[in-house]
Parts: sequence; structure tokens; C-alpha cells
Amino acid sequence: MSAPPDPTDAASPPVLERAATRLRLVGTAALAGALAVAVWLVARLVVGDFSASVETTFAVGSLAFGFGLLGWSGAVALGRGIESMQAHLDTGAGWTEADARRAMARVLGFGLGVMLGATAVGSVASVFVAA
Amino acid sequence: MISTRFVLKRLLLLVPVLVGVASLVFSILHLSPGDPALTIAGERASEEFVRQVEESLGLNDPIWVQYGRFLADAAQFQFGESFIIQRNTTVREVLANKLPVTLELALYGQLIGISLGIPLGILSAVKQDSITDHLTRIGALAGISVPIFWSGPLLILLFAQVLGWLPTSGRISVLYNVEAIRVTGLVTVDTFLAGNWDMFVSAVRHMILPASVIGVYSMALISRMMRSSMLEVIRQDYMRTARAKGQGAKITVLKHGFRNAMIPVITVIGIQFGGLLGGAVLTETVFAIGGIGTLLVEAIKVGDYPIVQGTVLTFAFLFTLVNLGVDITYSILDPRIEQ
Repeated sequence: MSAPPDPTDAASPPVLERAATRLRLVGTAALAGALAVAVWLVARLVVGDFSASVETTFAVGSLAFGFGLLGWSGAVALGRGIESMQAHLDTGAGWTEADARRAMARVLGFGLGVMLGATAVGSVASVFVAA
Repeated sequence: MISTRFVLKRLLLLVPVLVGVASLVFSILHLSPGDPALTIAGERASEEFVRQVEESLGLNDPIWVQYGRFLADAAQFQFGESFIIQRNTTVREVLANKLPVTLELALYGQLIGISLGIPLGILSAVKQDSITDHLTRIGALAGISVPIFWSGPLLILLFAQVLGWLPTSGRISVLYNVEAIRVTGLVTVDTFLAGNWDMFVSAVRHMILPASVIGVYSMALISRMMRSSMLEVIRQDYMRTARAKGQGAKITVLKHGFRNAMIPVITVIGIQFGGLLGGAVLTETVFAIGGIGTLLVEAIKVGDYPIVQGTVLTFAFLFTLVNLGVDITYSILDPRIEQ
């Protein structure tokens, strides 16, 4: 993948466009996470301990979210340095800060989707149980 | 001059790092086996009592409520009270007692590592392929290769048992009550501030061996990095120009080479600080110093979750702060980095 657009470059996309791209990146991953959770929890509702599954699913989601957030901030903070080091040592393997940042944003988004999905399904289920 | 925008950006980056660490800690503790309520109540407690404990800890709430509450508490550095290790004591108090112990060890270790590693690295580079260079490289290789749990007991055996020069364990002689003069929690500083010379000497003597064990490892990495960085810098055109203009070799290396060669070394020092905190766990165990590392291991063993959460987040916070310092130092050494 190509390097991120230089903000000082006149040809770089406007702020809103960049924000929309980033939101799409996280949003689609979150949607995938939420859908996966919905399918998984419906399956667990039929077979297995539903409330324990909601807890475990949320915890797994927060694991992915935390990992993605750490990886993303690590890429932002150290990515350029690692790129320079690779160039300096001539050991480049195609790893770039922009790719790492995007990949981690996907993981973060997926984790967030799982957490939100588990929260939504769990809340709806608790309402039905109470009723 | 460092720009405020640069520092602010780096400070803002601390937020996702800490939220990420907090999320990881929360999820790992929730996914690991064991019931905190049962741990507190005890194996023989009645079911009703266990339910009461669960209620008081908020474990009956949905997990997303617990997660939100955990993040809000973590933002205020509130982790409640220790379940087992120090019952009825807040995690804040426990950490306030233990953190200075580990910090003191890590700081002195880093001080030894930097003060020996940098000059040795420069010497090794300037006298490349000489006997000094070979000895320094062998020393560095040994320092990196020898694990702390082996070098620690060996040093105790030599300097404490055989030669009898230094004490084997602890932070200060049992004859002194260091709590009475506690100001910073760092024994060497507190005894110095109290003006008690005998206590100060005892604290320093107790610190030499553990700090050296950590420092040797740190020194080895720093000197290797300094050597390779300096070797690269002294081959640059501007160094040759400075020499051609008649500047002395020492001044050329120290004035023009040192600053540029320091940039990768600073990175190593920053990253290594995390390793030093980890290394402190082993060193504290070998030298029987009750610091935060030992506390963390004990808390994991007995399932004291508030202590585990507080300690891990403290480690993460310290590590990110040190790396913020590294970033700022970068921009002082090479202002182009801010761009």
C-alpha cells in the first residue's frame, strides 16, 4: 500500500474526506464485528449458556479493541521511526506505518463492533427475561 | 526549542495507549478462570455471603457496566481496595509504598548503564579493532547474554559471601527505621535528606549489587548501540571536514559526533526502561527487595485483581511517560524530527 498523504501537499484530500475514509475503515470493521456477534449469540441462545456467552464475547471484544488501540497508537508513535530504521539498515520488508495503522484500525473497529453487539444483544435479552 | 504542539500531540497519544492497556487488563482478567468474590469470601464461605460480596463489588452488573466503571475509575487511578495482599488498604496506598522501591532500583540501574555504556561505546568506536574495542565488545556480549537470575546470585556469592564487602539483601540495615524519615520513598534520597550519614551509607551499600545487576545489562545494550552509531557518524563528511579544518580528534567526536550518534541510543534507553521494570521483578526477588514487581507476581498468584490492574496500568503509564521523554529528547537533539 502507498504511504499516507502528506498534509502539506496541495493535492492531499480535504480533512472531511480523510475523516470519512477513516470512519469507513473503522465502521465497516465494527459492523462486521457486530454481525458476527449477533450470529454467534443467537447460536448460543439455542445451544449453551447465553448470559455467560455474552460476558465472554464482550471480554473478547474488549481484548481485540485494546489490542487494536495499542497497536494503532504504537504505529502512530513509532511507525515513522521503524520505517526509517528499516531504510537505514536496508532491511525493509514492505512494512509501512500507514499499513500498520490501517490494519490496527480494522482490529480496533472489529473489537468495538463485538463489544457494541454484545451490549445490544445482552440488553435486549435482559429486557425479554425481565418481561 | 521544542514546540508546544509537538508535546501536546505526544501527550494526547498517551490517552489511547492507556485506554488500550486498561481494556486489555480488563478483558484478560475477565477471561481468566477464578471468581474474585469466592477468593475474597474464602473457599468455605456460604453461598449467600459470596452473593453479598459479588453485590458489593458490582460483579452482578452487566459486563459493559463493569467495563465503563472500570475505565472511569482507572482514569482517576481508583482501583478500590486490595482483596488479599493488604486487605482494607487502597491500591493507591499499596502502590505508593511499593513504587519508589522499584523506581529507585530502575533509576540507579539506568544511571549505571548510561554512565558506563556511553563512554565505553564511544571508546570502542574511536579505537575500532584495538584491544580496548575487543574487550568492550566481549564485555557487552557477556552483559547481554548473562541472565539476571544467574548474575545476581553470582555477585552475592562474590561480593557478599566471599569478600564480605556488601550486604546480601534488603534495602537498608535492619538496625535503621527508614519509615520514620520517609519523604520520597527512595531510601538513598530520604537518608541523605535526613542528614544521617550512617543510614545513607547503609542504603547505598545495599543498592550497589542490585543496581549493578540491572545496570550491567543496560550498559551492554547501550554500549553496543553507541559503538555502531558512533562508527557510522565518524565516517560522515562533516566529521572529516571538521578534522581537515584542524579541529582536534577528541573535540570533533564529542562536539559534532556525540550529539548525532546519541539519537538511536536514546531510543534504546527509552525502550529499555520497560525491560528494566521487568528486570526489576527478577532483581527484587533475588535480592529480597519488596517492590512493585514482586507485588505484581504475588497479586497474580493469589488473584488480587485490583492490585494487578493498578500495577499493570502504573507500569504502562511509566513506560509511556519515559517514551514521551525520549521523543522530547529526540526533538532537542535533532529539531528536524518535530517536522
